[in-house]
Amino acid sequence: MLRRFTPLLPAVALLLVFFAGPMLWSVYTAFTDMALTGSVSVDFVGADNFTRMAQDPAFLHSLLLTLVFVVGSAVIGQNTLGLLIALLLRGRGRASRTVVTGLIIAAWAVPETVAGFCWYAFLYRTGTLNQLLQHFGVQQNWLYTTPMLAVILANVWRGTAFSMLVYSAALSDVPPELVEAAQVDGASAWQRLRHITLPMIRRSIVSNLMLITLQTLAAFGLIYVMTGGGPGNASQTTPLYMYQQSFKFYQLGYGTAMALVLLLIGGLFSLIYLRLIKLEDG
Amino acid sequence: MRRIVTFTALSVLILPAAAACDSSTGDGGKTVTVAYQKFGAFTQMDDQMKKVKSQYEAAHPGSTVKLVPIEAAENDYYTKLSLMNRSANTAPDVMYEDTFLVNTDIAAGFLAPIDDHLAKWPDWSQFTDASKTAAKALDGKTYGVPMGTDTRALWYNKDLFAQAGITVPWEPKTWDDILATARTLKAKLPGVIPLNVYSGKAAGEAATMQGLEMLLYGTQDTLYDDAAKKWIGSSPGMLDSLGFIKTIYGEGLAPTPQDALDPNFGSRLSTELLPGGKLAIALDGSWQSGTWLPTGSKPWPQWNTVLGLAAMPTQKGQAPGRTSMSGGWVLSVGSKSKDKQAAFDFVSLALNKDNTLAYDIAASQIAERADVAADPAYLAANPTLKFFTDLVTVTHFRPAYADYPQVSNAIQVAMEAVMTGQQSPQQAVTAFGNQLKQVVGPDKVK
Amino acid sequence: MIRRLPVYLALAVVAVAFLLPFGWLLIASVQPGAALNADITWEVSAANFTDILDADTVFIPMWNSFVISGGTALLTVLVAVFAAYPLSRYRTSFGRSFLFVILFATGLPITAVMVPVYAMYSRFNLIDSVPATIAFMAASSLPFAVWMMKNFMDSVPVSLEEAAWTDGAGWFQSLRRIVLPLMVPGLTVVLIFTFVLQWGNFFVPFILLLSPEKQPASVTIYTFFSQYGQVAYGQLAAFSILYTAPVILLYSALSKVLGGAFSLTGAVKG
Repeated sequence: MLRRFTPLLPAVALLLVFFAGPMLWSVYTAFTDMALTGSVSVDFVGADNFTRMAQDPAFLHSLLLTLVFVVGSAVIGQNTLGLLIALLLRGRGRASRTVVTGLIIAAWAVPETVAGFCWYAFLYRTGTLNQLLQHFGVQQNWLYTTPMLAVILANVWRGTAFSMLVYSAALSDVPPELVEAAQVDGASAWQRLRHITLPMIRRSIVSNLMLITLQTLAAFGLIYVMTGGGPGNASQTTPLYMYQQSFKFYQLGYGTAMALVLLLIGGLFSLIYLRLIKLEDG
Repeated sequence: MRRIVTFTALSVLILPAAAACDSSTGDGGKTVTVAYQKFGAFTQMDDQMKKVKSQYEAAHPGSTVKLVPIEAAENDYYTKLSLMNRSANTAPDVMYEDTFLVNTDIAAGFLAPIDDHLAKWPDWSQFTDASKTAAKALDGKTYGVPMGTDTRALWYNKDLFAQAGITVPWEPKTWDDILATARTLKAKLPGVIPLNVYSGKAAGEAATMQGLEMLLYGTQDTLYDDAAKKWIGSSPGMLDSLGFIKTIYGEGLAPTPQDALDPNFGSRLSTELLPGGKLAIALDGSWQSGTWLPTGSKPWPQWNTVLGLAAMPTQKGQAPGRTSMSGGWVLSVGSKSKDKQAAFDFVSLALNKDNTLAYDIAASQIAERADVAADPAYLAANPTLKFFTDLVTVTHFRPAYADYPQVSNAIQVAMEAVMTGQQSPQQAVTAFGNQLKQVVGPDKVK
Repeated sequence: MIRRLPVYLALAVVAVAFLLPFGWLLIASVQPGAALNADITWEVSAANFTDILDADTVFIPMWNSFVISGGTALLTVLVAVFAAYPLSRYRTSFGRSFLFVILFATGLPITAVMVPVYAMYSRFNLIDSVPATIAFMAASSLPFAVWMMKNFMDSVPVSLEEAAWTDGAGWFQSLRRIVLPLMVPGLTVVLIFTFVLQWGNFFVPFILLLSPEKQPASVTIYTFFSQYGQVAYGQLAAFSILYTAPVILLYSALSKVLGGAFSLTGAVKG
């Protein structure tokens, strides 16, 4: 039995050394008052960091924003838009497929910092969007007035490619005869989607949701470049607050404790999704 | 099969060990590692260190200098430097330190005191008394040699002043003078921002230092009580300073908050607003002109004729009438350095008269060595240098104790709350006092 | 055709919406005095590109990026292929839990583990070592790569291998001779996916590498921002385009190789 898993060893070794080790160290750090600089001693402080978190309005606020960000940009935005585009592209000509998927994949392939700058310049007070909108009398810095919406849209722009690819793949496995048969029976487009297509790709939906949720929970670079968490703390999601605590205020212990909470939330989401797969399978 | 398992296990164990052996097989001579920041247009430090490296290696045959330029913005530079300092393997022998972080890093045990070396260094007597305290810790020891400093004052656009009918040279005597001028500018010149004072978290340390502290240190209050060794949470001066912020942002004398809170506002100010005649008065640093020199990122040949300079007045004109804040950077010796003498030798070479002179001119720094400040080449280098150097007599340094970075953040939060109208100055001062108690501990707040 | 008009209209809207944010980048890169404004001056020049096309600014960082991302991608694919084999072929609860545990670990913000990783690397004197940096980056991209690889492998029928097994071939021969040739597209997808992801990775090389001559483009892009916040926007835009070009080229090459309908087919079916 064990022998069968021999090929797994290099992966396990790599993960143990470079991932599990630092992670365990992180767990330890979360229970200390370790600082990046400013003090020599490291004291074990028990659950202090966690009780502090529970009473820290800035942290609770960041948690709420993180949920809004994940649900808005991943669960609703990327997921729905990805599915929609995949559906629209089904059976279209080669030219339109190439143009549309090309642009969407380009948005995905662009390095995070570059994507951040693109959006920053796009939404900026004198940026491209306002140049287009000035004929309608709209002039505002979208990053200031609607920071959460701005970062959510940017993340949808950047991440939709992944969901689109997943759903294109899944849809290609749905036998066209089934859909056509339903069409002959007089089912509307929505009914065909609801009762035939969606049930057939449900496993892909759940996997996709899980993967994009995990990726979005830890998202940092895009928001950091676009708004830096501001104005005030209006777009300061937990990864940004964690970065600020760890590297700007040097509170490594507190920052790492936040990372653990974030990981826990990711685990919770995963469990819910896995539960959904199980239910479907059962 | 078992062989593969053993092999994998072994390779995991051996790989780090084998690499660890490498460290001992360095060359026989001494190596001095020097860490500093290199960021965008700021290449002067890099040029300077390369030059000193060759001087040092020529003077100490057999020794080598290893330069570690860290290409990063300020916060990331501190992060990286702190990480390097935490491990004996990577801790640099000599490092470029911002004065406001010196005490933080001393508390962390990163820096070594250099008093013994300074006592034997004749050049030390050339340094001004103020600069000698810049890297002096609470324990009375000195932890760094200053490279140069900066001061802050009011830059104003003479053309715009003429259009608004305000006589130049402009010499405001009180805060009210500034406000009165700003109101005139607002009334006469629509479309022009009358006055900029940095504020809010996006501006970072610029908001604290160029903004609030320039105001606060012109009142009767400060941020830290040196005698009691306590931070000052709420004081009338703090209330008035935040009130000034409220006035200018509330009355539209300053940029709109949505512009001011943009992380790139500082760059817009020096590349678009001031050169474009869209901003009349800017409370800003002595280094600003570096942007407009032919070597800068936004050459502006007319800057010296268009812009005038005025010292920042005290609140009600009380003595000494003017105020300023100074920062600056030092070279420090790392506490984990194996050869502190060699490290100090590098520092003293890097900051001897000739090298300091070259650096201060290249980086538009205000000299802290008397012999450099008096050098004709230095005085001729930049027409604003004399003005800013004169401010050194009235300047203040930040209370750069270990908690300062967090106190500074609390100040930015208070400013942002006031400028956006979320809190009144009184509420913001109260919130600041409470935050301060959390950050530094209730017993360290007055 | 008329009936499909709404569909094409919707697709056109999507295409424009995805194109717009690139607008500033493309315009600013060819304008000599570019600022953050989208003001078009009709003055077009390649000055921003020619100004930065030298060894220190573009070529060395890009080569470093190529070595680091390429090395990471190769190592990841190699390890992931081996790991995927038992996970795909032997359906056990152990395999399944293993997969979910490592996948779940990807949710941890990488910034949280960087401090311990730095401590560990400096303890073993691995700081400033490109191979060691690659090892960490491979480890962090491994969970997702294994997951994708397993899904690709699932689509290769076990029945094909049975003949080889009766001939006495071990797992290694079976994997090498039968499974791998059938999943070249899958390997390519994982390889390129990992490469692209690491091409944009800033934080890990920034923390683990010291020498400027080893830094990849993702780190050196910050040199366009200066000490006091002055930004060379035109050059930044030009550099961004040069920096982005390789990954876009890779994708288009990939879609050519794998046929028009390039997709992660099978990679993430779950």
